Amino acid sequence: MRRYAAVRMLLHERSTTAGAILGVVAIVFLVGQQLAVLFGLFTLMSAVVDNSGADIWIASENVENTSSAGSLPIRYVDRLAGMADIEWAVPVVYAGAQLRLPNGTFQPVQVVGVTRPLLHGGPWRFAAGGNDVLLEYDGATVDKFDLEDLGSPEIGRIVEVNSRRIRVAGYTDGTRSFGAPLLFTNATKAREVTGLPADRCSNILVRLRPGASVRQAMADIAALLPKASALTSAELSRNTILYNLTSTGIGSSFGLSTLIGILVGVVIITLTMYTNVLNRQRDFAVLRALGARRKDIFFIIVYQALTIGFIGLLVGFFLLAGFLFGVKGSRLPANLPLWMPPAHALLTFILCLGGSALALRRALKIEPASAFR
Amino acid sequence: MLEPVLQLDGVARDFSDGRVVRRVLKETNLRIVPGELTALAGPSGSGKTTLLTIMGLVLRPSAGRITVSGRDVTALGEDELATLRMDKYGFVFQQAALVPALSALDNVLVAAAIQGGRVRAETRQQAVGLLDKLGMKEYANARPQQLSGGQQQRVGIARALIGDPVLLLCDEPTSALDVESSHLVLDTLKRLSRDPHRAVVLVTHDPRVFPYADRLIKMEDGTIVYDTRAASAGGN
Repeated sequence: MRRYAAVRMLLHERSTTAGAILGVVAIVFLVGQQLAVLFGLFTLMSAVVDNSGADIWIASENVENTSSAGSLPIRYVDRLAGMADIEWAVPVVYAGAQLRLPNGTFQPVQVVGVTRPLLHGGPWRFAAGGNDVLLEYDGATVDKFDLEDLGSPEIGRIVEVNSRRIRVAGYTDGTRSFGAPLLFTNATKAREVTGLPADRCSNILVRLRPGASVRQAMADIAALLPKASALTSAELSRNTILYNLTSTGIGSSFGLSTLIGILVGVVIITLTMYTNVLNRQRDFAVLRALGARRKDIFFIIVYQALTIGFIGLLVGFFLLAGFLFGVKGSRLPANLPLWMPPAHALLTFILCLGGSALALRRALKIEPASAFR
Repeated sequence: MLEPVLQLDGVARDFSDGRVVRRVLKETNLRIVPGELTALAGPSGSGKTTLLTIMGLVLRPSAGRITVSGRDVTALGEDELATLRMDKYGFVFQQAALVPALSALDNVLVAAAIQGGRVRAETRQQAVGLLDKLGMKEYANARPQQLSGGQQQRVGIARALIGDPVLLLCDEPTSALDVESSHLVLDTLKRLSRDPHRAVVLVTHDPRVFPYADRLIKMEDGTIVYDTRAASAGGN
């Protein structure tokens, strides 16, 4: 009966109930949308590392993320080749450059040079062409989402990067990064474009044999290359995300907007539920006089808060799904990891309960004797 | 001598505004026996509602002892008092005070199941039967706002009776009713008070109530100044 009474009260106060549900929808959608975009950006930040196929990234000493410059002697690759646990180790070039646009202005690009013929660390999804275009002397790929920024070069067009000719030979599909557009080419062309000496590389990608211990391999690499920095792909990915979060202000920006979403929702829930209790003080007093204990009133308010949370969650998730579906395949990165919806639902229920705290406090203070006044 | 359903011994109540403590109900002794309709009358501020709420176990006395059906309940905890109210008491409020979100039938049922659990089929049957007895069966699914004042009050009486209470406390049940509805409600309360296990206490300003009362208690300044029981026994 308590549950039934709680729901009937919600249905009776349609406008305030709708207001509270709106508050929950605001939390679910605004926070969910902000987090989806943030996680989408995380994916972009670490995309080159996450999709490299490597277990370990080796960089010059003290380099902790992909945004840091530095180079390594390419002879390190030969030293690594002697390690039994390593399946392959390849050098890559990773450096910034300027692409000249048809109107004469420049667009910064991130050049990624991969080693022929295996092309490990290369693009991972294509819209036109394939990995083989990077085998060509001056072949390069750009992403279809970056075409407009790069002056819309069609396949076969020669573009100028750092005053060197390079040919757009393929389009990738969502092979993007957080910063400047990625331009994949072979390591030889990348060195020519970026001016990196032939005996040096930016990183060495290492893939371990199946079953090999990453910890042991890291220790072996540290002993073998004491002047280099070795990080697992997971570490580098995490470091790169953290670096971008803290250095670009993106973390505080998204954090603030997420917080605003939460605050707006909680304020709406709090005000509407509090108003609801204020309007129904006599009802609660009468129920108390009839025999309701404080815990019964507590149950009714909490049940109402959770019901509002559940309905708001359904509507909010529906809108969020619409948003994610709408931006799928667009430039706007959005990604909701599997653990996010349950975590978001839990947060929403906690916020609903938090939002109802004031109403609960008021309702529990109502004395049964007030039913007689 | 009948066993009282409620007995107050030296019950008093103080209220404080933070600076001054005022005794709004002076030491009161009272025995309410079953089979009677007792009218509690007096001017505003005389302490009759305070006395009613203390009798109803919704307000604790500052002094004195309360006994319900022979059990001393003065020191019981809040939850125990709530359960006692649900099990042994029925309340009829001014203007019925039905919960507007619930239908007439649900308003009756809520008094039986507000502490949780499912409403049993026999409780539902009993509620429908009560509404039927009070001429409200056809309005069982109506919302309070769809009912007249008199109809609401009859639903309120059905709600008060659902737990088969030994004590029915009514707070000015006719104050918002027209003459015809008032008599209907008072007839009903009078009939209910004829149950040898039940007592009815009614707080009122309304002189139309007095002819229905078996016993009349008048209060002034927090004191019982007249009680027909005492008068008939040769007291004041």
